[in-house]
Amino acid sequence: MPLRRRLTIAFMLAVGLSAAALAAGSYFAVRHTLLADSVRSGERQARRNLAIAPVYLSQGTDQLFAAYGRGAAGFLTVGIRRGRPFSSSLGASVREVPAGLRRLVGRGDLGYERTSLAGDNYLVVGGPVGRDTELYFFFPENDLRHELAVLRNILAGGVGILVLLAGFAGALLARQTLRPVGRASAAARSLAEGLLETRLPVEGRDEFGSWAQSFNEMAAALETKIADLSAAQARERRFTADVAHELRTPLTALVGEASLLAEHLDSMPLESRRPAELLVADVGRLRRLVEDLMEISRFDAGQESVHAETVELGALTASTVRARGWERRVQLEADEVELTSDPRRLERIVANLVGNAVEHGDNDVAVRVGSDGGPFVEVSDHGPGIAREHLPHLFERFYKADAARSGGGTGLGLAIAQENARLLGGRIEVWSEPGEGTRFTLRL
Amino acid sequence: MDEHVLLVEDDPSIREVASLGLEQAGFRVTATGDGRDALTRFRQGPFDLVVLDVMLPSLDGLEVCREIRRESQIPIVMLSARSELHDVVVGLELGADDYVTKPFELPELVARIKAVLRRSTAGPSEGAISVAGLEIDPAGFSVRKGGEDVALTATEFRLLLELARRPKQVFTRDLLLELVWNYDYLGDSRLVDVAVQRLRGKIEDDPAQPKLIQTVRGVGYRFGQG
Repeated sequence: MPLRRRLTIAFMLAVGLSAAALAAGSYFAVRHTLLADSVRSGERQARRNLAIAPVYLSQGTDQLFAAYGRGAAGFLTVGIRRGRPFSSSLGASVREVPAGLRRLVGRGDLGYERTSLAGDNYLVVGGPVGRDTELYFFFPENDLRHELAVLRNILAGGVGILVLLAGFAGALLARQTLRPVGRASAAARSLAEGLLETRLPVEGRDEFGSWAQSFNEMAAALETKIADLSAAQARERRFTADVAHELRTPLTALVGEASLLAEHLDSMPLESRRPAELLVADVGRLRRLVEDLMEISRFDAGQESVHAETVELGALTASTVRARGWERRVQLEADEVELTSDPRRLERIVANLVGNAVEHGDNDVAVRVGSDGGPFVEVSDHGPGIAREHLPHLFERFYKADAARSGGGTGLGLAIAQENARLLGGRIEVWSEPGEGTRFTLRL
Repeated sequence: MDEHVLLVEDDPSIREVASLGLEQAGFRVTATGDGRDALTRFRQGPFDLVVLDVMLPSLDGLEVCREIRRESQIPIVMLSARSELHDVVVGLELGADDYVTKPFELPELVARIKAVLRRSTAGPSEGAISVAGLEIDPAGFSVRKGGEDVALTATEFRLLLELARRPKQVFTRDLLLELVWNYDYLGDSRLVDVAVQRLRGKIEDDPAQPKLIQTVRGVGYRFGQG
């Protein structure tokens, strides 16, 4: 249950219980007083009635009733004289007098008890007259009961209204109290989503106020730290891009010169031919490195775009393998899978994965193209495999799983392939078991 | 083969090695490192092809390209870094025929140049094609629309010819790259898109609503209604 509702309910309970206790207390006090008053006045009247009874009884019950004022007396009179019951009203008789009271009066005492007659409430007060007569007076208490009922309803209603008010007030209060909490959790969420400039309003000098202040200090520290970090990273990437860019012009000249040199290797004197060959090869390596650096810095700068066309992945993979002259070393098993993507980027990824496998995986490289929930290209080899501790770092830049086996790659191939895959809304997964081989899967 | 190439490249080393390479490949080369000078030289001599760097002092390669296209349909091959590919697209829109990215090996450049030059020499003699109000004469390298000559570059002409030869057939970009630009494998599809735009600008009544060269979405292009 949310804190707000719990607070509201607790508040309602506290108010409701104390109001109910107060109301019940006052109700019972009033009730006690009223009933006692009624008994006192009934008793007084009964004593008076009993005192004058002997005089009139000898003249008959009608004389007695007349003396009591007949119907205007405000009470009913019933009695039993020498075993014969009599009554001032048809509705009442001595049979309606509670037995306990009869026994009390039989012993010669004055007594009272409450009873009801045909749905009306009465206070019955009785006493003996001489040795042979008992008289009982029925004092109606309906008005009293009604008043008490009204009082009870008013009090209950009051308690109900109080509880409702307490509910409103509690909800309001809880909301007021918990608003900073809600705000803080929204602020934390927006921080988590990367809106680092999020701050909390500092209201008042209470606990929430100082909490908000600490929160803001934390957010400010975080913002500065991250700004510093990303500025440093941007500088670093900018530098890489600049270096690659600046290298390009001399490299173009070098590449041109090397390709001229390459055409004339045969006519060179023997002692300069080998160095020239190495020069040509190294210029090629340098070219690949600079091109990869430039490509990765374009990814960093977010300058890469996708040129999507309808692509048949199987055919693309087959022609990639063919164009690189790998068809003798690669077992290709390709289903026809059509998708809309950038064929040049796909070609780059596939060429990188197959190239790696061909380089490291002896001669049995298997490439499978198919679709299971999404198009995939799976490249597996039965080479030496990659140790488990290297797997998480394979796609990092310049990460070499095995320094001795760095081969002809630039160290950026897999990083670029992964960036390309991401740009196309896919990813590259790797599985490897030392001694069994390695499997890279491009999923789109 | 004694074609005359105007090489415009500001870096002296690249200029020299490219000149050497082109000369060894049998071209006559005039080289310069300055945009204005390039225009002056272009106006002086007849050239068969221009190799043009995008970044040049005094007048940049794109301006030179625009100026040359104003006067001539001569084949132009741009040189550019990959990071300047945006400029390359502008160059293609201005009418360059192809481009080579730096760093390049000389055989690449020579192959691109030869491919462009091949486009501007007449192919196997075929009869003129008359289709949809266009008269295309492969032998005379001319296109007439409603009796009027339309000036097309060699690339635009080849593109139109390939498409119009087989009306209603859908050509993928890769196929067009192979047929027109002689890329045997995955060239830059923007070459096709930009050339089609330029061609539409010259032969369509309303280039925004092309009737002759239709786009087949996600696939390529075709001549006429499918």
